[in-house]
Amino acid sequence: MGDTLLSVENLSVDFTSYGRTRQVLRDISFSVAAGERVALIGETGSGKSVTAKAIIGTLPRNATVRSGSIRVQDKDVLTLPRGEREALKGTAFSLIMQDPLSSFNPVFRIGTHLDDVMRFADRRNGISTSRSERRSRIAAVLRRVQLADAERVMNAYPFELSGGMRQRVLIGLALLHQPKLLIADEPGTALDVTTQDEILNLINTLVREENMALLMITHNLGVVRKVSDRVVVMHHGDIVETGPCHDILSQPTQDYTKALLDAVPALYGPRVTDMPQSDRGPIINIKNLNKIYGRRNGHHAVRDVNLTLREGEIFGLAGESGSGKTTVARMIMGLLRPTSGDLMIDAPAPAKGRRLTQIVYQNPGTSLNPKRTVRQTLTLPLKSIGMQGDAREARLVELMGLVRLPQSYLGKYPHELSGGQKQRVAIARALAAEPKILILDEPTAALDVSVQKTVIELLVQLREELGLTYLMISHDLSLMRNFCSRIAIMLRGEIVEEGATPDVFAAPTHPYTRALIAAIPVVSDVEEREKPVVTEEERMRFLVKSTD
Amino acid sequence: MRQHPLTAILARLGSFLLVMVVLSLMIFTLARVVPGDPARMALGPAATPEQVQALRQQMGLDQPVAVQYLDYIGKALHGDLGISLVSQRPVTTDLAQTVPATVELVLVSVVFMFLVAIPLGVVTAHYRDHTLDHVGRILSLTGVTIPSFLFAITLQLLAARFPGGWPIIGRLEHGLGWQGGPTGFLLLDGLLAARFDVVGSALQHIALPAFALSMAGIGQITRITRSSMIENQRKDHVLTLQSFGVPERVIIFRYLLKLSSIAPLTIMGLEFASLIGNAFVIEMIFAWGGFASYGLNAILQKDLNAVTAVVLVAGLFFIVANLIVDVLISIIDPRMRRKEAL
Repeated sequence: MGDTLLSVENLSVDFTSYGRTRQVLRDISFSVAAGERVALIGETGSGKSVTAKAIIGTLPRNATVRSGSIRVQDKDVLTLPRGEREALKGTAFSLIMQDPLSSFNPVFRIGTHLDDVMRFADRRNGISTSRSERRSRIAAVLRRVQLADAERVMNAYPFELSGGMRQRVLIGLALLHQPKLLIADEPGTALDVTTQDEILNLINTLVREENMALLMITHNLGVVRKVSDRVVVMHHGDIVETGPCHDILSQPTQDYTKALLDAVPALYGPRVTDMPQSDRGPIINIKNLNKIYGRRNGHHAVRDVNLTLREGEIFGLAGESGSGKTTVARMIMGLLRPTSGDLMIDAPAPAKGRRLTQIVYQNPGTSLNPKRTVRQTLTLPLKSIGMQGDAREARLVELMGLVRLPQSYLGKYPHELSGGQKQRVAIARALAAEPKILILDEPTAALDVSVQKTVIELLVQLREELGLTYLMISHDLSLMRNFCSRIAIMLRGEIVEEGATPDVFAAPTHPYTRALIAAIPVVSDVEEREKPVVTEEERMRFLVKSTD
Repeated sequence: MRQHPLTAILARLGSFLLVMVVLSLMIFTLARVVPGDPARMALGPAATPEQVQALRQQMGLDQPVAVQYLDYIGKALHGDLGISLVSQRPVTTDLAQTVPATVELVLVSVVFMFLVAIPLGVVTAHYRDHTLDHVGRILSLTGVTIPSFLFAITLQLLAARFPGGWPIIGRLEHGLGWQGGPTGFLLLDGLLAARFDVVGSALQHIALPAFALSMAGIGQITRITRSSMIENQRKDHVLTLQSFGVPERVIIFRYLLKLSSIAPLTIMGLEFASLIGNAFVIEMIFAWGGFASYGLNAILQKDLNAVTAVVLVAGLFFIVANLIVDVLISIIDPRMRRKEAL
């Protein structure tokens, strides 16, 4: 593949916090050749982001490099004088950050960021440029990342651009000085699946056309397949396995890689859980439901939605951000009043303090109060139904058993728990007052794929044990395919397709559904081949373009 | 999408007008409910009941409070705030003489606050958890906790020992032959008239009271600036700029400082309330002759028109200051210029 651009050798990094030292990278070695696309994959705490930060030189203050070297163009960036090291930034390598809104300073225009980055990189290279000169160079780069109206983008403030546009600007930022190596930290992860797909395509095109090398950091195996030639699998600071992308994804040799691949919900082939259709009566009946936010020229978030949930089924409501799926869930919960339409829950009225519906939120890191122990968190709903003394204590133990957590965890605070454990506590809290219906709002989106699998398995078991009905809201169609018995797809407030999950996936009728399924990054070639075909015209009609 | 800044300001002005109406109603009623007959107090114990009654009628105190209020507002809108019972001059004349002194004092304090607090906040944030930061934190805590009168008196005692002497009362040295200027602000008038001896003397005089007045604010604004800087330092956008090699000083002084000035500015607006409150004390200690000391006398003498006017002016001052702060923030933060944000 040509010359080695980046070589990391025996790198070990420690983090020190509150006097305790933790090894986050253990003697890792890998390299990236010119023009090669390498993916660094791993779950939370694997050390993949720390590796990227060590290369770029933005390790946090409490990090210490124990040993090893990072050679970029045959210079060891770890021992290089500060000036020379800074000179590599933007030219030898550049970083594409993930775009949450926070990648740009909110009180400065996009153009200011771009101009400063270009100005100081020029200065380091001994070039002096005028403002207008830089402006036209920046405009040219923005057009390379398919932002046609470069002037408008430069004059905009960060909050005035869509997530997809900001992600494109971040890519443009990395391209300003024709780097040899692009380091991409989970690009597009915070975006909708269709936008993410466009972003990955763009990165692929740019890397090919500019003959750059790519180091892609990701937790998503589907992304790996799409944008890499070679894969480095990381786990707890170690490199588990390295090899060509196709080999790793089809014939992994290490148990960890196998387990990782196994946990990815498949888009085709056998489902992880096979859900029988419910033959019981309807429990939720929704007719012509509408929600308009604001009074004059309000935002019509939900438009004439009709839904029927049968008792005991797992119903999936899928859609991208802004499709109205969360609004529907909030109305079912009674947290929002519908503007018009009927919403009937067909079950005996609950006793005082109890509710028919409960919700499990996406991020247990924020939905659990960090200052309350698990016991306190779970006691609150029990108090509200008037449970006291021994009965309450027994119920606490029972709840912990239900979510498969040891009883000793009752005394722990959220920060002492892992992401999956926190979500189990959130599930236990939702179950405490014995609801009939559980609304799952992206219940695994904040979790690693292996943890996602265990949480989903738990939810499947709980439904059987407790006879619950689930309404799951998600943008992750491959997960829903494996979990939901029926599914509805929402687009701009309307339901565009509804049916039994296997039917919808076997033969999606609406072009938007097809586009959505086609955009999912998948792990195997089989899945890729099975994806529905979407014409360019359909894409244009239904996808929110990330370029405007 | 974006609302015109002028519309936003007009909307703000409307709500401020409402605040002024409520404030005037409250102070007007309160001043009349408090026991003690203002006419009797103005005329002294030697006056006959007839004389008192005559003055009460003249002042309209025999009318119902609502009528008095409407009457007052009607006149106030024409720039007539009534006659001060104590000084026997129109209240507006008294205010014209005293308000500039206070405004000047408060403005110089604000300048002090910014000059000291913002750099101190930036420095302590940069060197957080180092010695410099601890010293800065203790200093700002001291500033917040020490009552301003105590600080003022300590400053006076120290200044008295200053070799060559340092003025500790009044606004200006005697014997400069200064006849006063058009604005009443000594610093401004002195500059306009090119009388640099006056400017120098006024600066010397204002330094101590302004410093004493700004002390509490300095402590608070330092802490807010520090925590705001530290919070923003952790944001991804700092990482973005760092990873492209934008120099640290540019990130701190250009990007972080602008973003982190929003919180201290907001606090600054609120700080005006305590500045005006503390000015009452500071002006007494430094014999400042501003409207705060005028107001204090008016309250003690139950000089109704003067009390009402002083409260309204203080309220107006607070409101105008906050309006300016709002405008500044909306200039800094584009998100505030969006319709939804207001």
